[in-house]
This record gives sequence, C-alpha cells and structure tokens, in this order.
Amino acid sequence: MSTPMNSNGSLSRDDRRFGFRLTAPAASLLAVLLLVPTTLTILYSLHDVPANGRSLGPFVGLENYTIVLGSSVFWRSAKVTVLFSIGFVLFSTLIGLAMALLLNQRFIGRGLARALLIIPWATPWLMIGILWKWFADGSVGGLNAVLLMLGATSDYHDFLSDPNSALAITIVAAVWRQASFAGILLLAGLQTLPDDLNEAASLDGANLWQRFRNITLPWLRPALVTVTVLNIIYAFLQFDVIFAMTQGGPGDATQVLSILIYRQLFGVTQIGLGSALAVILGFVALAGGLITVKLLYRAERQPA
Amino acid sequence: MSEITLSRAPRRRGKAATAAGLQRSTTATIVLYLCVLVFAIWILLPVWYLVVSSLITPTQLGVKPFPMVPSSITFDNYLSVLTGATGSKGFGSTDVGARLLPAIGQSFFVSSVLVVLNLVIAGFAAYGLSRYPFRGSRLFELSIIVSRVVPAIAIIGPFFVAFRVVGILNTPWALIISYNVFTLPLAIMILKNYFDQLPREIEEAAKIDGASRLQTLWIIIVPIARPGLVAAGVLIFLEAWSEFFYSLVLTNQLTVPPLLAGFQSVQQFNWNALAAATVMSMIPPVVLVIIFQRHVVGALTAGAVK
Repeated sequence: MSTPMNSNGSLSRDDRRFGFRLTAPAASLLAVLLLVPTTLTILYSLHDVPANGRSLGPFVGLENYTIVLGSSVFWRSAKVTVLFSIGFVLFSTLIGLAMALLLNQRFIGRGLARALLIIPWATPWLMIGILWKWFADGSVGGLNAVLLMLGATSDYHDFLSDPNSALAITIVAAVWRQASFAGILLLAGLQTLPDDLNEAASLDGANLWQRFRNITLPWLRPALVTVTVLNIIYAFLQFDVIFAMTQGGPGDATQVLSILIYRQLFGVTQIGLGSALAVILGFVALAGGLITVKLLYRAERQPA
Repeated sequence: MSEITLSRAPRRRGKAATAAGLQRSTTATIVLYLCVLVFAIWILLPVWYLVVSSLITPTQLGVKPFPMVPSSITFDNYLSVLTGATGSKGFGSTDVGARLLPAIGQSFFVSSVLVVLNLVIAGFAAYGLSRYPFRGSRLFELSIIVSRVVPAIAIIGPFFVAFRVVGILNTPWALIISYNVFTLPLAIMILKNYFDQLPREIEEAAKIDGASRLQTLWIIIVPIARPGLVAAGVLIFLEAWSEFFYSLVLTNQLTVPPLLAGFQSVQQFNWNALAAATVMSMIPPVVLVIIFQRHVVGALTAGAVK
C-alpha cells in the first residue's frame, strides 16, 4: 500500500510541513552522502586527475570515455560481466523458484528446512567468496573430494586457476547465496496463494503442470519480476565474491567491471579513467533500477 | 508449523496432504523427500566443509580426498585465532590472527551505532512519508529506490579524500558515516512499508484526545511498530556487518570482512585457522537472522516487493 489513505489533498498545510520536517534529516544526510560524491565522480571522469587526487587536473571533456570505450580491456571485462550476470540471474532465479516450490509443500522437517534456506542469505558476501574459494581449491577442497567420491573425476582439479572454469565457479558461489534470497521472497509470495484456487482447478481436472502454469506462475509474476530485476542489479554490482575468490584472475578471466574499476582506481591510480568506468557502470545499473521501478509500478497496478 | 507433528500414518487414511490439500501418492512422497535431500545437501555441503576444516589439523587437511567425516576433531584452530597464536606474522612482529577479536569488536560497534542512528533518522522519515506526505515526498521515495543501484565504487573516491582531510580514515566513524549510503534507504523503505500497514484509527483517537503529533508518534506508534523496528534493526545490522568494500578502502582492515580477505593473502595463514575465523565471523549475523526469522522475512518481502 504505497498510497496512504489520506491523499495529499486532505492534509492541512501544517501537516504537510510536519511531514517534511520529519523527513528532512534523512533527506539532507542522503543528499550530502550520495549526491555530492556522485557529482564529484562525474567531474573526475571529465578531467585528467593527477594520481594523488589533490586537484581535478586539466579538463579533458569526454576523452576518458573515448579511451575506455576504445579499449579492448574494457570490452573483455564487459563481456565477462555479461556472462557472469546471465549465469547469476538465470540460476539464482530458477533455483530460488525450485526451492520456494519445494519448501511450500508439506513434509516433516519443513520448519528446519526453511531455517536452512536463510543461512546462505545471512552469510556476508565476502565470507561466501572465501568459503567457496577453498571449497573449490585444487589441493584441500571439498568439491574435488565429492567429485572424486562420486566418480565424476579421476584427479583433483584446480578450478579457480583454470581460465575455463574460474568464472563458472564464481557464478556457482554467488548463486549459492542469491538463490536463497530469491527463494525467501518467492516462498513468501507462494504462501499468500489461496489453497482453494488450486483445489478448484484440480477438481476441474487440471494436472500438476497445468496448475503450475496457469495458477502458480501468474500469481508469482510480480514477485518474480522483482527478484529478477534485483538479481540483475546485484549481478552488475558484484564485487566481494570475485575479489575473495580470484581477484579477477586467472589473467582477466573473471575481471568483471567492478574489479576492473577497482584496479584502475587503486592499482594503477588512474582516477579519471576509473571514474569514467564507474559512471558507465552506474548508468548500466541505473538503467536496471529504472526498469525495476517501472516494472514494479506496472505490477502494482495490476490486480494480482 | 504444526505439520512437524504430523506422523507418517497408514497409507489410505493419512497420505500427507500437499499445500493445496490434495492427496499425495507414495511415488510423489518419495520424490518429494529426495528433493528435500538434494536441497539440504546444496545448502549444507559448503557449510559442512567450512566447519570441518575449522575442526581438523593441517595434516588431516592435507589428506586426499578431504575427510568429510573426520576421525578426530580439535579446537586448536579456534584457540590459535582467539589467542593470536596462528604462527603467521604480519608486517610488524605481532601475529595477524590477534587482530580478529578487535575486528569483531569494531564490527559490533559500527553495526550497533548504525542500527540506533538509522532507526531514529529513518523512523522519523518513514513516518513522515507514510502519514504526512508533502510535495516532493513521492520523488524522495523514488530516489531512495534508485539510490540502491549507485555502485559503491562510483562514490568511494570522494569519501576517501574527504575523510583524509577530516582525519577520520581508519576509524569506525569513516564507516558509520559512509554506510548510511545503503543502510538509510533500506531502513526508510522497510519502515515506511511497515507504517503503511498499521491501522490509523488509534492515531486518530489519540488526536481527538488532544495528543500532539510527536506525542502520538512516541506513545502510540513506537510501541505497536516494534516488530517492524526490530526487523529493520536486524537488516541494518546484517548489511553493516557484511559490508566489505568501503571498509577495505577507507580503513586498514578495521572490521571483519576486510580482515578475513587480508588473512587470505598472508602466506603462512593456513586454511584451518581462516576457516575458524570465518565460522566465528558468520555466527553473529546468521544467529541474529534465524532468531528474528519471521519479522525479518516479512520486512524483507514487503521492502523488496513494494
């Protein structure tokens, strides 16, 4: 219910001023902490900023952007980001949906299973990266042990040093966390689905698949839209897991844009270039954010 | 959760009912429990690996394949991290493991201060937005949602410069200030949603009885909004505890996440000790969220979906 009962019109002028005064501290704090740094970063991106960051340096217009967009490093990194995001969004959402459907069934130990679902979500991203880095390790890792026991491999494999598998393992690690987040939200959506809808459909002879397709899925649509778009934002901004697992390596096999920016800003201290990159990433994420808002409002207006 | 008490009754009479109240065949039941097993393995296998690693010796760790069920366990890794005797020296002469407990303390300090500050500031704002919307309040709500997509890395530079000028780099205050960028919008969204769902009748009655608007907020709203405040508090704590990037750039491994990342690059720091440190650092957020599971999930859902 985002529109309050008293609409703007019915409030007295004094009441509206009171609302403004209550909101002012938060609004001014966020203005200082968000707007000022964002503006500065945009300014940086238009200047050739000296490495010590003490001054803006000479104004260079869009030169930083031209350099970034003309470099193969950027496009390789953009490709890695897109690959990471596709895997991350697809599997987080699908596995999350599967887990939500499962935990909505009745079985012994369901309460415990629902508590388990929370663990990956409550674990800080960085610790998930550390955990999976070692889990996938080539000499002491548990993943190798499991694969060996299952007979899937004959020898230990160093997944994170192999450019062919490093990205896949970082995706699995990030999905492990984010699928739980999706599962929690989708399960909450499923729990509001009235039982009699399914019962009626079942009496009409609808089978399991038909009920899923025509009742459950439409019911979950708003929640699925939200989860998917949130996952897209998380995907583009992901830093912690990859930093902990590979720091972008081997080579640049897992160098997503956020890692590339980090290296530009703090590794080689090219503040102007790094800022231009950050602005580009910001716009990509902002586009995702605007889509979120747009889709959310469309979902809200539709009677579920 | 009364279904836990359901026992497996004889077939005809007591086939477990599905969510829709439909009867389930034996095959379906078997498939269901197999799925539950796969689910449990998916979640627990990495966690189990972490916990086992923290409870065995480096020698046991070297065995291939990794001993998923170790023959013996030890708490030495926890002890060495807690007492700072991990045998790995930092740049100075002190053991880097000794930095874990202080970092946990700093994480607690930063997270707790943020919870208190944000509940007050966001509480006022959310109540104002919910009950006394003003010209521009809708725009403010929208910008709060959009602010969640601003990459931290895009605004960290100016923070670094400003904090260096003020001289608070590498102090908890650098984090308490900068974390507001993401905790405050989150808290406002959750609390505004919560206030929107509270009935207005009591407030109107209080108004008729002559209570001022602030008195109403303090005496009527705060007590009935406690579940929402708790949920928002837990989520702020979780976000602050988990934050890595700002702390990495603005401090010298002051809080837990950058310290753990730092342990990874210390050659002598073995995985057993790191696993013990990771388990200890995971416990506060995981326990907190499981305790307040119901509140938190409700708030998270409302905050994310709306």
